[in-house]
Formats: sequence, structure tokens, C-alpha cells
Amino acid sequence: MISLQNIEKVYRTDTIQTLALNNISLDVAKGEFLSIMGPSGCGKSTLLNIMGLLDVPSKGNISISNQQTHNMNDKQLAGFRNKKLGFIFQSYHLINDLQVIDNVELPLLYRDTTAKQRRELAAEALEKVGLSNRMKHFPTQLSGGQRQRVAIARAIVGRPEIILADEPTGNLDSVMGNEIMDILTGLNQNDGTTIVMVTHDENMARKTHRLVRLFDGSQVQ
Amino acid sequence: MIKHLFKLIWNKKKQNFLLLSEIFISFMVIFGVFSFGVYAYKNYMAPMNIKYENVWVINYSNTLKTENADSLEMFYSSLKQNIQALPGVIEASYTSANFPYSTSMMNNGITYKGKQYFGVNNYRVDDDYLKTLGGNLIEGRWYRKADGAGKERVIVINKKLKDDVFGSGSAIGKYIDGNNSKDGRRVIGVVDDMKNFGDYQPAKYGMFERIDTSYRKWVGNMLVKVKPGADAAFEGKLYKTMANALKNSNIEIEHLDDKLSSTNKFTLVPLIILSIIAAFLIINVALGLFGVLWYNINKRRGEIGLRRAIGASGNSVSGQLVAESLILATLSLLIGSFFAAQFPLLNVFDLPAMVYVIALLMAVVFIYLLVFVCALYPGRQAANIYPAVALHEE
Repeated sequence: MISLQNIEKVYRTDTIQTLALNNISLDVAKGEFLSIMGPSGCGKSTLLNIMGLLDVPSKGNISISNQQTHNMNDKQLAGFRNKKLGFIFQSYHLINDLQVIDNVELPLLYRDTTAKQRRELAAEALEKVGLSNRMKHFPTQLSGGQRQRVAIARAIVGRPEIILADEPTGNLDSVMGNEIMDILTGLNQNDGTTIVMVTHDENMARKTHRLVRLFDGSQVQ
Repeated sequence: MIKHLFKLIWNKKKQNFLLLSEIFISFMVIFGVFSFGVYAYKNYMAPMNIKYENVWVINYSNTLKTENADSLEMFYSSLKQNIQALPGVIEASYTSANFPYSTSMMNNGITYKGKQYFGVNNYRVDDDYLKTLGGNLIEGRWYRKADGAGKERVIVINKKLKDDVFGSGSAIGKYIDGNNSKDGRRVIGVVDDMKNFGDYQPAKYGMFERIDTSYRKWVGNMLVKVKPGADAAFEGKLYKTMANALKNSNIEIEHLDDKLSSTNKFTLVPLIILSIIAAFLIINVALGLFGVLWYNINKRRGEIGLRRAIGASGNSVSGQLVAESLILATLSLLIGSFFAAQFPLLNVFDLPAMVYVIALLMAVVFIYLLVFVCALYPGRQAANIYPAVALHEE
């Protein structure tokens, strides 16, 4: 599903050159639930950003759903992200000025869909994460766990094949964290969604199919 | 997407209030400046109908001791003939002080069929006035010597007054200020509208009354059409002729084209001052808009990063921010247009409705352009925000 070959990411300033990722090769199978762990600054988020086509590697190739991505222009990359990928972030990244239902609809705005279709799909996604009764609320009226569930609904509303989650339980207590983990596991098991999750939490990582560990930009497990 | 943007703007109405107000105020100021500008341009484009080149004005004071009206009449007729006989003079005419581009005004009201018309400029002139100024007679005739002897009171009016009083029909032979020859004045001629107040002011209601013997002592101005190339030496000769005839009189010679320039300046200066103030305001508004949009974009980096992540291209992010600004401008313009529309409806400043309509359209286009230009660069900057970086910052 996702194939990374010899990925290297170097950040350069006038005086310093930092190797964030060093020769990472990784294959994620369709329907796999993979977690990535490692200490802060080891390159986990950079790797996830590269997988999510939000960042470009300095070297190496990425292939997602058998499509090479290095030749795609900005518009093609945006369309690809919209259709194939769903994102969940540690800090939710909800737009506080929009109601929950409007936040969930966001990815569909960049597709050829009618307002009615968008509303139906968003309502369905919210149903899946158990927030049907919070559609008209604003994000600031929700708890952290609820906000993350809204973010999950937004990630799945476009029915992507892959979800990339960057520390989705990082801002939550263990009870809420487990709730979010259950939803992600359900998506993986019931819908066959491929999930790549960056986490600091060993317990959460243990619930996934496979664990990849990074240290100083290199894969150690 | 438009509905989504409306929703986003509506939900942020408190944050957007300042920007909305700023655009609204700018629109009203621009509308005001454009209204006066369009009005001035419209007036400028209208024909002057006065051939003011080589026309001089002799201002004098009547120093003759005699109170006898006939003697005065004879004296001033003879003086005019002497002036006309000078080799450099083409035509000459006595006039009241409200000759073209002077600062004097004489207003009367007239009645026709019980309806009153106010603000009619009353020009006291002689038989050669129209020829001296090169005016156009469009109906009837101008004054002639015999009009001084007739018992009936006659009057010449301008086209503007004729159109408003008599409509499309002929005015010749009709009476104003009465119904018959006993108490009314019969219209004998209609002249084309003359822009007596300069290039940028419209022609106003006007009626021309023949100077009769009883009015002669109040007249203190003579228009003289001179041949092209008339110089200071000729001006001196003219002065001497007048001074010799009118001992101890204060005589002053002015040129009508100079008076036109100063009248034009008098009209344009307030417009120029208003335009300069408006230009400063626009620069302020542009900087303000630019700053607010820039600030918004920096405040919304997380949102922009998110939109990029979930499928927005750089161009669509840029387009969204420009579209948001234009929607905000539209809301301000709707409110502004409502207030601007009251000007023609309530006839504020007495300008023609079309002037306001044109000014409104120009102001709308101007504000859209201003907002578009101010939003363009911040929008492009937003498009260049790297999603991974923006999402990480949040």
C-alpha cells in the first residue's frame, strides 16, 4: 500500500545540516495497522509527513497504492491526498469557527460533491465515531476526546484507503485515549483501512499489528 | 465553497467587524469623491456656448453727475460707439455685474401658470451681448433697439429654463409672471445654455433682460470682443478712451479667459483637496487591509496547513483567501450601496441621479479592485505555506 525506498531527509540552514531521516525503507501492507515509535526528535513526524505527501524527501522514492508520487505537481498531490489519505493530528486541527458537521465536511469541499452529499457523508462519519448528537456544536464546546473523534470523522469522511495519525492520543487521558484507539482499531478491522500511527505510548503501540522504531533518523526495529 | 466561506465569515463576524467597517467607510468616502468628480466631468463635457477668447471686461464706476436717464442713455450709447469704433474692437456690450465667470450673482424667481421657479439668474444686457459672447439663439430672436420703445415687456430665457417651464413645446409668445401683455413678460427668444460659472459648473436657469434707461445708472461693466493679437498697448488705449470719457472713475480691464481660469480653480480646489484626503485615506485603508489580511493569514497558518493536508492546492488556498476578502467587501458594499442610494432618492446636494449611479458603480469597482490587490499578495504567501511546517507549529 505504502512503499518507502531509501528515504533521506536533510534540513539545511546556512551553517547547519541536520539529517532527520537516514535511508528509511519501509513497506506498509494494505489493511495493516502500523505504529511508529521513538524518542522526541527522532524523525517520526517527518516520516509521517513524507508518507502523507505533506513534505518531500531529500532522497528516495515513495509509492502509494502503486503510484509514484515524485513527479506529481502541487495540484495532483493535493488531489491525491484528498482521495487516498486521511490525517489525524495530536492537536486535532479543527476550525473553531465552524460547527462540528462543517469541520467534518471540509475534505469533501475539495471534491466534486453536492452540499446534500457532503451533509450525508459527514453525518455518517459522525455516526461512526458516536458524535451524531454534537453536529451543531462548535469544537470549543467539546472535550478533548470528542474533538479527536471529530478529527477522526473528518479523516474518514472521504473514505480514504490510508489514515495517518500523528500521536492521536497524545493530548488525551488514558480513558479517552483508549476510546480513540478503539475507534481506530475498528476502522482498521471493519473497514480494512490501512493506518500508520505515530505514538509515544507503548500500550497503544502494542494494539497495532507492527511496530517500527526510529532513533536519530534511522530505523532500529 | 462560496456557502462555506459565507458561513466562515458569518461565524467570525466579530473579528471581521473592524474590516467591514473600514471597507464601508472607504466606500462612502470614495463614493463622495467620485460623485463630485463625475459631476465635474459631466459639466466639463457640456458645451460652454460662450466664445470667451479675446473678450475683455471693462469694470467702471458711473461718475456722471446727471440724474437724467435720457442723458445717461445718450452718454453711454455714445461711449459704446466710440469703443466699437476702435480699430481693434470687434464687438462691445454693456452688462450687469454677473457677466460670465464673475463672482456676482443676481437671482430672481419667476411664475408660470401658478408654478414658481426659483434661482433664475437675471442678466441685464444690451442688444449686442449675444454677439459679443458668441452665444447661440435656438428659438425666436434676440433684443433689438425697437424693444426699448415698445410698451410690452419682453424677455429672453435660456434653454434650461425653457425646458423646465415650457417642456418640449415652443416658449415664444408665452407670458411669464402674468398671463397677458399688461402684467406678464412675453418670451421672445431662447438661447443655448451658457456655462457662466466655469467649465466645471452646470448652466443654471437664466433670463436676459434688456438694459433700459431706468437701469442704466446701475450698469458698471462692458464686455469687449477684441481682435486676436490685441496687446497691452491696445489695452492702454482702451483704458484711456474710458478714462477720458469717465473722469475720476475706477476703471479696470480684465480678460475673460483669466477669469475663467480663476473660476475653474475656485471649483477644482475643493475637489482636489477632497481627492488628496481621499487618497491618503485609501492608502491607509490599503495598508490596513493588507495588514489585517496578513495578520489573519499568520493567525490561520494551522487552518491553512490543514486545508493543504486534506486536499487544497496552493492556488485554491490563495483563491479562498482572496474570495473571503471579496465576500467581506461585498457585505460592506451592500451596506454602503444602501446608504449611497439614499443620495439620489433624497436628492442630497441636488445633483442629477445619474451622477450618483455612475459614482456608485465606480466606487464599487474601485473597492473590489483595492481589496483584490490587497488580498493578492497575502493570498500568494498563504499558498506558499508549507503544510508540514504549519501543522507542526500548531
